[in-house]
Amino acid sequence: MRAVRLLLLVLGASAVGYGGWLLLPQLGTALPWLIGGPVLHDVLVAPLVGVVGLMLSRLVTNRLRLAWVTAGLLASATLLLIAVPLLWRPPSAPPNPGLPDRNYPLGLAVGLAVVWAAIVIVLVVVAMVDRRVTNRRTDRP
Amino acid sequence: MIRRPRIPVPEDFTAPSHSPLVAARLGLWLGVAFGLCFGTGLLSHFIQHPPGWFTWPTRPVNLYRITQGVHVLSGVAAIPLLLAKLWSVYPRLFVRPPLRQPIRLSAHALERLSVLVLVCAAFFELVTGLFNVAQSYPWGFFFPTAHYAVAWLVAGAILLHVAVKLPIARAALSTPLRGSRAVAAAAPGRDDSSERRAFLRTSVGVAGIAVLATAGVTVPWLRRASPLAWRSAAGPQGIPINRTAAAARIVVPPDWRLEIVWPGGRETLSLAELAALPQHTAELPIACVEGWSASAHWTGVPVVQLLRWAGAPTGRPVRFTSLETDGLYAASTLPAAHASDPLTLLALRINGEQLSPDHGYPCRLVAPSRPGVLQTKWVARLEVLR
Repeated sequence: MRAVRLLLLVLGASAVGYGGWLLLPQLGTALPWLIGGPVLHDVLVAPLVGVVGLMLSRLVTNRLRLAWVTAGLLASATLLLIAVPLLWRPPSAPPNPGLPDRNYPLGLAVGLAVVWAAIVIVLVVVAMVDRRVTNRRTDRP
Repeated sequence: MIRRPRIPVPEDFTAPSHSPLVAARLGLWLGVAFGLCFGTGLLSHFIQHPPGWFTWPTRPVNLYRITQGVHVLSGVAAIPLLLAKLWSVYPRLFVRPPLRQPIRLSAHALERLSVLVLVCAAFFELVTGLFNVAQSYPWGFFFPTAHYAVAWLVAGAILLHVAVKLPIARAALSTPLRGSRAVAAAAPGRDDSSERRAFLRTSVGVAGIAVLATAGVTVPWLRRASPLAWRSAAGPQGIPINRTAAAARIVVPPDWRLEIVWPGGRETLSLAELAALPQHTAELPIACVEGWSASAHWTGVPVVQLLRWAGAPTGRPVRFTSLETDGLYAASTLPAAHASDPLTLLALRINGEQLSPDHGYPCRLVAPSRPGVLQTKWVARLEVLR
């Protein structure tokens, strides 16, 4: 294991060195885009996710329901993130017929609607199964 | 009870999603996604800038379409996986450095530095890749070289991270997720093991949704279903266009003649003469570096037959030059394997129609298993290399 780790260390350091050397001519313009991700995530996104998670766990007390609502929120957030470059297009390349050619606001809305419709169906089914189980238990004590 | 606000410590985060069992599994899956992305990206780089030892097969004709589709879709899948992984290890951000032990402190600092490089580079690759597929460039650097350089940073930083974390990761991966009954009985009312599994399931499920939402760019039967695909319909004459004749400032001269040169010889022919040569039709994809792809029926003269007709040598690489005077893709070198392939066409027609100016009128190169940017349009000259 020690040898494997040492090998990984050497390979990793060389690859990082090579990448850094390749990036050097463009480091100035790339730096804000390199630093931006972690700063935005650690300072803004992660605390926000934590706060939303805490609030949600107070609002939804049933564990199974909470898990599905969380899944819906995470899927929605991911779809929103993927849609950003399609919805927000500052200086883009010259027009290319047939490329980014969908109605993206509509597509995003439909995608989110499908995700939440699926989750509502799951929650309703879960609630029905729950009720049936409870009924059966009360019928035959 | 009033608590004074303070910077949290890792122990403040008690959710099961922060368990090393979760982080190690997410790390493994993220490693697979980034590994696929890096491997296919490297292939694409080598196809476009081939080192001497590199050869790329011409069959199956869809090979590049598949590798580049995997590249883009594994990147899309990595977005939710990376966020889930970062959430899982977020408490580690608040580990206090061992200030009084210089050796441990320097090890701690080095590890933090390697993780910083990894996170910076991983975000950079996913964000720039996502903007690039949408053909949006809100930055000052040149995308292909920066994306390639930072890919090495990601790959190297992942190896460093694995080297550091290997013992912890191995222990975590060999511990089953499903907690034993004894553990569950010890802490009733809270089922950490089922919450850990739920978090992992959600992460994978969301990655799957992200892939489904975009895979229509290259998977034909998902084309109309993927709401966030960066192309939908077939496009003009059945294929989307990545660079218009207007953007390339193409003016086809009225006396246009195709020029074929080789060491010790030269031949030219008009469009009518080219159209009078025996024509072949082949179904070949345009497979873009941006991950989208679409097949069309191309009709034209096989390059190998054109060279034979001109009396030029075959079995050698051929350089195709466009009417485009500037621009990165004004010329491309067709490797010998592709130049000899009977399916490689100098196409005059697409799906039964004459090529439109945007598709490369008067003629364009279409070869199997090649990136779209190298399928030179508005061809003016073929040069057989040595």
